Amino acid sequence: MKWATRANIHIDRAACAWLIRRHVDPDAEFVFISDPAELPADATPFDMRGVELSHHHGDCSFETILRRYDLTDPVLWKIAEIIHEADLDDERYDAPEAPGLDITLRGLSMVCTDEQTLTHTTPVFDGLYEYYRRATLLGHEPA
Amino acid sequence: MTRQPANGPGNWVLLSYRMPREPSTPRITIWRKLKRLGVAQLGDGLIALPADARTREQLDWIAEEIVESGGTATVWLAQPATLPQERELAAAMASARSEEYRAVIDQATAAVAAGQPDRTRTVRRLRDELRRIHRRDYFPPTERDTARQAVKALAEPRTTADAPEITP
Repeated sequence: MKWATRANIHIDRAACAWLIRRHVDPDAEFVFISDPAELPADATPFDMRGVELSHHHGDCSFETILRRYDLTDPVLWKIAEIIHEADLDDERYDAPEAPGLDITLRGLSMVCTDEQTLTHTTPVFDGLYEYYRRATLLGHEPA
Repeated sequence: MTRQPANGPGNWVLLSYRMPREPSTPRITIWRKLKRLGVAQLGDGLIALPADARTREQLDWIAEEIVESGGTATVWLAQPATLPQERELAAAMASARSEEYRAVIDQATAAVAAGQPDRTRTVRRLRDELRRIHRRDYFPPTERDTARQAVKALAEPRTTADAPEITP
């Protein structure tokens, strides 16, 4: 399936792309558009104003996708808290990881194309998932 | 994208909105989010921020949330017609921030005399507060550096000269 989002991706869009590929559509193909009018007819848009898979009622797009696809994995919801704070910084959650991750993504977007950003962030999100999976199993921070 | 251009007024992003009086909770939520972003209030239901990728996106999401709560909202890109008008706006925003920095300086100064656990707690709280203020500080006033220094000084371990540490 084809998925589309706004070009020059930051934390929420990078995390959504990872989430889509790992938990919704393993064959996902991503298109980055600068103008909403360029949206290909066969693509599902995300993190764009006025579309279903976007910010709704104060949730960021990552949280919206979790809800829309009934993804209830607590590890994904833990990551959602970090993405929400990195993207919106509204202190809904206590996520001290957020500012660091936000700056990392902002910096990456300055030196990478959107495709490269996805390539670099995929193992980062895989690693975060593994870290919080172990933390959830152990009940404390893994070594 | 330029915040303080040399030749003419810069670009600003404006949000014009209207929300139902009741229920009041969404109105308060939106107002808190706008305050957190450090917006300039231009009029009733009209706020402004210097335009950059982040401020434009934040106001887009807030506009979306207003519409979802039954209100109306439009986001605009605009330039003040004259430089003095822009300077006045920037000065008002800078003065709102300097008030916030002064509150940090006062609290840091007051905590100098406190015991070590209190100081440590205050440093942590004030660092968070400084981070919040920095994010909405588009036209940094001179108090910014003073506030940073005051918190830094509070974080430094005391020298034996001003208060000898007693080890049990």
